[in-house]
Amino acid sequence: MSSKKESVLRTLTVALLVCLVCSVVVSAAAVALKPVQITNQLQDKQRNILQIAGLYKEGVSVQEQFKQVTPRLVDLRTGEFSDATDPLTYDQQKASKVPETSQRMDPKVDIASIRRQAYYSTVYVVEDEQGEIETVILPIHGYGLWSTLYGFMALESDLKTVVGLGFYQHAETPGLGGEVDNPSWKKQWTGKVVYDESGDVDISVIKGGVDNNSPNAEHQVDALAGATLTSRGVENLVRFWLGKDGFGEFLDHLRAGEA
Amino acid sequence: MGVRAFLDKIEHNFEKGGKHEKWYALYEAVDTFFYRPGSVTKTTAHVRDGLDLKRMMITVWLCTFPVIFYGMYNIGYQANSIYAANADMLAAQDNWRIALISLFAGFNPESLWDNLVHGAAYFLPVYAVTFLVGGFWEVIFASVRKHEVNEGFFVTSILFALIVPPSIPLWQVALGISFGVVIGKEVFGGTGKNFLNPALTGRAFLFFAYPAQMSGDAVWTAVDGFAGATALSMAASGGIDQVVAQGITWWDAFYGNIQGSMGEVSTLAIFIGGAVLLTTKIANWRIVAGVMIGMIATSLLFNSIGSETNPMFSVPWYWHMVVGGFAFGMIFMATDPVSASMTNTGKWLFGALIGLMVILIRVVNPAFPEGMMLAILFANLFAPLIDHFVVQANIKRRLARNVQ
Amino acid sequence: MANASAKQVLFDPIFSNNPIALQILGICSALAVTTSLNVTLVMCIALTSVTALSNFFISVVRNQIPSSIRMIVQMVIIASLVIVVDQVLKAYAYGISKQLSVFVGLIITNCIVMGRAEAFAMQNPPHMSFLDGIGNGLGYSFILICVATVRELLGAGSLFGIEILPVVSAGGWYQPNGLLLLPPSAFFIIGLLIWGLRSWKTDQVEAAEFKMAPQTRAMKEAM
Repeated sequence: MSSKKESVLRTLTVALLVCLVCSVVVSAAAVALKPVQITNQLQDKQRNILQIAGLYKEGVSVQEQFKQVTPRLVDLRTGEFSDATDPLTYDQQKASKVPETSQRMDPKVDIASIRRQAYYSTVYVVEDEQGEIETVILPIHGYGLWSTLYGFMALESDLKTVVGLGFYQHAETPGLGGEVDNPSWKKQWTGKVVYDESGDVDISVIKGGVDNNSPNAEHQVDALAGATLTSRGVENLVRFWLGKDGFGEFLDHLRAGEA
Repeated sequence: MGVRAFLDKIEHNFEKGGKHEKWYALYEAVDTFFYRPGSVTKTTAHVRDGLDLKRMMITVWLCTFPVIFYGMYNIGYQANSIYAANADMLAAQDNWRIALISLFAGFNPESLWDNLVHGAAYFLPVYAVTFLVGGFWEVIFASVRKHEVNEGFFVTSILFALIVPPSIPLWQVALGISFGVVIGKEVFGGTGKNFLNPALTGRAFLFFAYPAQMSGDAVWTAVDGFAGATALSMAASGGIDQVVAQGITWWDAFYGNIQGSMGEVSTLAIFIGGAVLLTTKIANWRIVAGVMIGMIATSLLFNSIGSETNPMFSVPWYWHMVVGGFAFGMIFMATDPVSASMTNTGKWLFGALIGLMVILIRVVNPAFPEGMMLAILFANLFAPLIDHFVVQANIKRRLARNVQ
Repeated sequence: MANASAKQVLFDPIFSNNPIALQILGICSALAVTTSLNVTLVMCIALTSVTALSNFFISVVRNQIPSSIRMIVQMVIIASLVIVVDQVLKAYAYGISKQLSVFVGLIITNCIVMGRAEAFAMQNPPHMSFLDGIGNGLGYSFILICVATVRELLGAGSLFGIEILPVVSAGGWYQPNGLLLLPPSAFFIIGLLIWGLRSWKTDQVEAAEFKMAPQTRAMKEAM
């Protein structure tokens, strides 16, 4: 090692040059690739929504398919549509962590254990040519056994029959609670009715298999085998988001045609 | 008898230089299974214990007999009671065991014979598979490593067969015992060098690999399509009140008139075997006492804390003792001399750690109603550490004494 | 090492001097990303390219780096490369980069990358260092792909997401092994792989730290 190489000036020069070159490379990569990344994120979310609503078609571009879906922002406090922010870029998960944009939940009503609830939520509406609502897709989340499950629930135009339910993010035990991703379990939800005659939430996840002959069968879903707590978590979060602290009021307004 | 003469006649084939030299281990196992061994264990079978291994293991094996017979009776009794109540369920069963049972017995829950045969049709195949598959690995490793097949395996196989649910598929039994023997024991060098209980290692493997067949409500009764919750999982969802509401009294749970895996149901039968083990000093009383004290202390603590949402908090210790695998684990698993602590003080601590962990897992962990298996495996991991500290403390104390 | 041929530099790390199996480096990502082959393959490519490129660049500037800031310079180069790789993955393999989550970023802390930079690239010319990076990346990939094949095939009944063993929940006969989807199973599989590798190449076996007293049979013969 020559002493020239170890001099202070030289050390500083090398450090500076390395940092300069590296930062240029890193920022160039980040800036150049940003647009592609944003499209990716958006498409991923849109694909999830389309799949849960049963509209997803393989081979057609997601962007093209998503044109039939309109994102709308809902104020959960009033249960009405709102224009407070852009529903496309609004991040509910982030908003529910900040005191300015969310409220603490009273543990008595917080059966889904979400702790804080954002004021706004983005719902997705599919309308037919006459402008009548075909499907409403609601974002739902709540605590299972180990983790918070994030997903969507799609309802038919009567706003009480389920089109589909699915979770895009969770960390439940593979093989037990992780079976919420099992297509045959998710399929059970299709056609279930989540409100009873008087308009109260009536859906339960029950152990031991649904008896299809019983009059309550349309309000019941089989629990996941060996995953009592995840099943209970799913039941609770569905009930919470359909109830009056979730989208209950919004759905009432929508039914009356005055959201 | 001819067997002795035959064995002697073929022995030279298996000795060094004989044509079947490689199979000595197998020969030796057969030979000593029928006859008293020519030599007894002299050194280091348990690293630090000089007791004759064969005699000890056979005693443990015999001590499981009350548990085995009661277990078989109970499987039959539970299944036959269900059939007696719903006759069409019996007709709906489509499996080879039912055909086999009908050859020898009926399906009357009142008949001791019918129940025993019914239970045997579930227990014996599981045990046979455990024994054959586990024995296969033992012989392979013994042959390669040129040592004898170890009798510890008799105990491992019977214990493993007793802690699985009766309805378990036989291929899972084979997989579980393979994992238990190979990963739980042989990779560490065989009996005496393993730090985990092989039977429990095998069960833990199945528990995580096939949770749907090893837990939940549908597996504990030998009837397809019938969900019978164990007393423990009932307690987990509704407290002891719910267990009692189902018509199960403490004495039922103590005698073993409940659903469960084959070996764990009857605390009474386990204690009979346990009494023999304790009097012959094969099972160490310090470990058993440690487990009891740890369990009682922890459950009393939870009783006094109380909880509105978790009914397990209020379950009293005498219920913890009779439900689930607590008694079986305490008597037969925790006292395994290889994987437990070796020092006397260490045994107290080791036992207490199991008692503490089992209640912690049962009460606080929301996912697993049963905690005995994981508690013992956990304590197994800590056994060498506990011993180390006990020995160090001893050294310190003696040094301090010397200085004065 | 200085006179090793290019072939040795490239292929030795696969069996003879495997970074995972012999040096037991870089295990943490091997546990986390090996549940499916797709994800594993992408992780392997990411790690191999980072190791090779960082080795190359560090070797290029090795004579200019003052020893007092040696480690920091290495870290800066490695970290920049990792960020670039992460950005590229997010742009062109979004689904997989979502599953890999933090583990691409954690390549920075992977001992293999830093270890090779310090042990090889600082003493050897750029082209050899590049080959050494590729070789060690291949060694890492070899183990990871073995582990992932076992885990995905037996844990989910598929390879590359394509169904091989039809699973029970979808009407088939194969009962998937849930343990293999949990991280600890990778420990067992890596352990068994090392066992197999050392039975084959016995020179990799470490000397025993203790010796047991003789067993019964040896005693009987001694008497």
